[in-house]
Amino acid sequence: MSATANCWVVWNGQAANTGSFVATVATAEGHFMESKRQVTVEPSPLQGEAYTALPRDGAGLNGHKPQVMDAERFHDASERILGSINKVIDGKAEAAKLALTVLLAQGHLLLEDVPGVGKTLLAKTLARTVDCTVSRIQFTPDLLPSDVTGVSIYNQSSRQFEFRPGAVFANIVIGDEINRASAKTQSALLECMEEHQVTVDGHSYQLGLPFMVVATQNPIEMEGTYPLPEAQRDRFMARISMGYPDKDAEIEMLETHQASSPLVKVTPVVTASDVAAMVSTVQQVYVSTAIKEYTVAIGRATRDSARLRLGASPRSLLQLLRAAKATAALDGRDFVLPDDVVDVAESVLAHRIILDRKAASSGDTPQSILRGILASLPVAQEPPGAWRRDRHAV
Amino acid sequence: MTATSHRGTPEATAAAGGAARNQSGSPRRPQAPGPGPYPWVMAGSIALAVLGAALSLNGVLRGWAWFMPLITTVVAVSLALAILRALRAQPLLATLGSFATLAGVLSFIFARQDSLAGFIPTTGTFTAVGRLIKRAAETVVSESAPVAPNAGIVFVMCACLGLLVILIDALAVPLAMPAASGIGLLAVMVVPATIKPQSVGMAGFIGAAVGYLLILGCSHWFAPDARLQSGSGRGAGQFRRSVVTGGLALALTMVAPLAIPGFETGTFPQGSRLSPWGTSNGLNPMITLGNSLRSPTGSGRITYATSSSAPVYLRSVTIDHFDGETWAPDDRAAERRVGADRIETGYAVQGEVVNAVTSVNAGLFTSPYLPAPFAPASVNGLNGRWTWDPATLSIMSTETTTRAQRYVVFSAAPKVTAQALSQATTAPSGISEDFLRIPGSLPDIVRQTADTVTASAGSNYAKALAIQKYLRSAEFTYSLQAPVQNGYDGNGLSVLADFLAVKSGYCVHFSSAMAVMARAEGIPSRIAVGYAPGRLTGESVALVGQGSFPEYEVDARDAHAWPELYFEGLGWVPFEPTPSRGVVPEYATESSVAGNLSTNADEKEVLTTPAPPATAPVPIPGVETPAAGSASVNPLPAIGATAAGVLLLVGFLWSPRLSRTVLRRRRLNRKPPDEAEPGAPGFTDPAPELAWAELQDLATDYGVPSAPSETPRHFSARLRSSTALGDIGGIDDAAHAAVASLTSDFERQRYGRQAAVAPAAAARIAVVREALRNNARWLVRFRADWLPPSMMQRWVHALGAPFRAVGTLARTAGRAVARWWRALRGLLPLRR
Repeated sequence: MSATANCWVVWNGQAANTGSFVATVATAEGHFMESKRQVTVEPSPLQGEAYTALPRDGAGLNGHKPQVMDAERFHDASERILGSINKVIDGKAEAAKLALTVLLAQGHLLLEDVPGVGKTLLAKTLARTVDCTVSRIQFTPDLLPSDVTGVSIYNQSSRQFEFRPGAVFANIVIGDEINRASAKTQSALLECMEEHQVTVDGHSYQLGLPFMVVATQNPIEMEGTYPLPEAQRDRFMARISMGYPDKDAEIEMLETHQASSPLVKVTPVVTASDVAAMVSTVQQVYVSTAIKEYTVAIGRATRDSARLRLGASPRSLLQLLRAAKATAALDGRDFVLPDDVVDVAESVLAHRIILDRKAASSGDTPQSILRGILASLPVAQEPPGAWRRDRHAV
Repeated sequence: MTATSHRGTPEATAAAGGAARNQSGSPRRPQAPGPGPYPWVMAGSIALAVLGAALSLNGVLRGWAWFMPLITTVVAVSLALAILRALRAQPLLATLGSFATLAGVLSFIFARQDSLAGFIPTTGTFTAVGRLIKRAAETVVSESAPVAPNAGIVFVMCACLGLLVILIDALAVPLAMPAASGIGLLAVMVVPATIKPQSVGMAGFIGAAVGYLLILGCSHWFAPDARLQSGSGRGAGQFRRSVVTGGLALALTMVAPLAIPGFETGTFPQGSRLSPWGTSNGLNPMITLGNSLRSPTGSGRITYATSSSAPVYLRSVTIDHFDGETWAPDDRAAERRVGADRIETGYAVQGEVVNAVTSVNAGLFTSPYLPAPFAPASVNGLNGRWTWDPATLSIMSTETTTRAQRYVVFSAAPKVTAQALSQATTAPSGISEDFLRIPGSLPDIVRQTADTVTASAGSNYAKALAIQKYLRSAEFTYSLQAPVQNGYDGNGLSVLADFLAVKSGYCVHFSSAMAVMARAEGIPSRIAVGYAPGRLTGESVALVGQGSFPEYEVDARDAHAWPELYFEGLGWVPFEPTPSRGVVPEYATESSVAGNLSTNADEKEVLTTPAPPATAPVPIPGVETPAAGSASVNPLPAIGATAAGVLLLVGFLWSPRLSRTVLRRRRLNRKPPDEAEPGAPGFTDPAPELAWAELQDLATDYGVPSAPSETPRHFSARLRSSTALGDIGGIDDAAHAAVASLTSDFERQRYGRQAAVAPAAAARIAVVREALRNNARWLVRFRADWLPPSMMQRWVHALGAPFRAVGTLARTAGRAVARWWRALRGLLPLRR
């Protein structure tokens, strides 16, 4: 426990005894972040109770599969979420939409930008608009894996080991400055991300649904950091840079955010079960063979490109297609268009590919190379023969 | 973050080009991957380019015999380079190896006996090479195109082109400047461009261009330039740039000749030929004669006035040595006599002599030989030191030229009549035996022809007439181009044989044919080179003591050659075997033989008979005399042919529009097949897809072509935002809605689940078409109607299909060979 007390971990436990999600402490979060020399471990509502390993039952939500939402309700819910986020963060509609896309596609998001452009604010707003549990981990070099996953402690009175869940037990986990933690701790989190479960002392504990990690990292400060290796970057569905807001948005931000934190006014607009239903709606989106071929062609083009040393992995293509499905659903369609794939391709693939040294030195970026590939790749995956296109006609 | 993540990554293997391309995805072989097909393809391209450029040398060298050693040399050197590069030798080592190969190949071809083991050069080889170079130098100095492909000149050519292969390879591969390799090819083509009258020629140009493009494409494909931007070379910007560059270059080639003096006419890519030396630089007048005749503008104008009533041939020089590959005037420097004011013929002439005075103004004509009417007795008014040859009466100067000379020639020619000629049967004496010597290597065809033609003739005169008649018959045609096209331009015995086989040529060929055939029949002969009678200028010149005479002019286009035959007692008598050129002398016409024996007694009549033949229009050289004209009487076939031609033309012009309409109908009016019920599993209604194809083609026709990398939605957005469809919200709103609904139908059908049957698209397409038409300018509308770009692309694509098939085949074969080569290389011990 002493190790835990020294580090900046703030986590909000969840009450799982009734089997339903209850948002308990989300409102106190912002307060914690403001002052760092504070109590770092919130007394858990679970304290004193045995946290038993959950059996994996279906989607893990109430024991039954979430209903599929119809198109209207889906559209309505997504509009509410985006509207709420856009009220807090000015001029970042694109980033907000991508964040929601990643949430619905059951992926994880990596926010990479300089300090102070609203990375954490975006993550927190997204978490706050959805009525679900949120925890935030401030990564530091001395953070231990058990701080993330949880630890079993011996209870003197009951004379048995009890599991105290770590910060990762939440629907939305915000990992701040993930590159500051040691590789060991990083990989503990990344394992949870991939497998949606935590294993401590031989017991596996299922994580809730929806589950999304929003990690931020700062590309400027390099000293004392442990940059995520390629394999771990690959686990994040998308990486976005926030970028600076434009002039008008910045002026408005200065006006509105003077007195109080904008987060205070944010209220949940959808429930976790709504989100789960949206997720299963996204899963129902139809992907035609043509789209699959197009996606694979993009992957092969990145692998064949002479300017890339490492192309897109099969996992990244899977995530690309999932993100495209979410985009299509957000656009109100039940099938994927090539446009959806193109829309998310840059965010999904850019952090996974590695440039050739020659290309890197000539000023190319992964984004520019992806754009070049997309601009030259035929959408219809057949030889561009004029006769082929009219096989029905002739 | 991005920077650090790259810091620790392993170094990329430093394999160039294609190797890097193949690395990703496939596991590394234990042996380092080779450079792939790059060296082979590149060496092939270079060999092709050099050989292609060398095609243009046909015409500089006669025939094609020189091409085989050239192929051997170029291919051997390229192969050596390819092998060395495939084995990844050092660039310097590869170049040195190719030099060694070149030396070996040249020794093998040209000095096999003098070399060790046939191909290793020894000191003897160098002696032989020295000999060959000397011979080549002689050829270059003394002969003119087309020269016979003797060993010397072929050796020099092979050596130069072999070096060129090495140079181009060095430029393209180690120095990575493939574009600069074009300079080498240009160097090859400069030679024919300045020497050959018809310039580089289509075959050479195409060969060199194809090879050059292959070199560029090859280096672009296998060793892409790191300085280029990312993205692909297929972008619209690149295409536009190349079109603009090409257009500018083309425009420049059209405009530049106008600004540069010396360029004459010509069409691209045959090229206006730069001829900085003018047309008559005549070291050998016989050779420049053809070029003079072909020059479209007459240069070297000479004016003269003569007291002679007969048409005057101005004679510069004679050719009497018919040995060797190329005939040239024999100057007989030792026998020449100084002082042109008193010239003696050197042989006895019987009978009457006709005297004439001719005043000549040479103007800008520049030549060491003085044009004068035959036979000059004295020439007055010349500047400088002139000498004359007693045997041929050619007047020349080694110190000065004819430029700006004005002189008066007194000439005295024996009056030649058919009667006198037919009586001149005594064996020639008083002239050199040279004029009777039959060349040693006389082709059989010449002798056979001569014998056949003169079979029935008795006297020398009859034989001469028979030969002349044969050459002037309808079998032979006058053509300046035929010898060039058939590769026997020039003179010499082999040319003569070709001429007698093809039966088409110009005065050089006719005159030499008659001269050689006359010698074969025992008549002394020589070829005179000079000018045919010219045209009246309309002015008159007063000659001292003779009165006033009309002035004539001749220029380069009147250059002529004719045979002179020797008859004892009459001297040298000119004949005119060339059809349509010059004037046939009275004594040489067929009729005179028949009638003159009895009626030609009156000598005065003979003097005045050739009325004014000189004023008769001289046919313009270059125009081929038509074969025996047969006037068509029946007009029906012509009308039918014209009608068919017009119909064909109309059909041809109509075909794009027609096929476009048919295609549109097929797409839009197609009924779904009955057996496939809508909604059945696996059934997709093709209608939206066809409508989409039609929409894309419509947009292409009206200037908004779709790109293959464009998504349907993006294309639709672009079309709707373009000016072609008009503004949204206006009268074209319906069209916008139609485009949007067509797009969504297509998307649903293509990417969606089982879609409901879409409404018919024909009406919507019609709306879009109407809007496009209304917003287009008339030119675009016209193009869309009559030359729809979508249809044109389709046709071009179809036309390219065979080439693509060949390309695919070649690629497959190339891969197979590469596999084979890799397998072979795997057997060899590992290098480096």
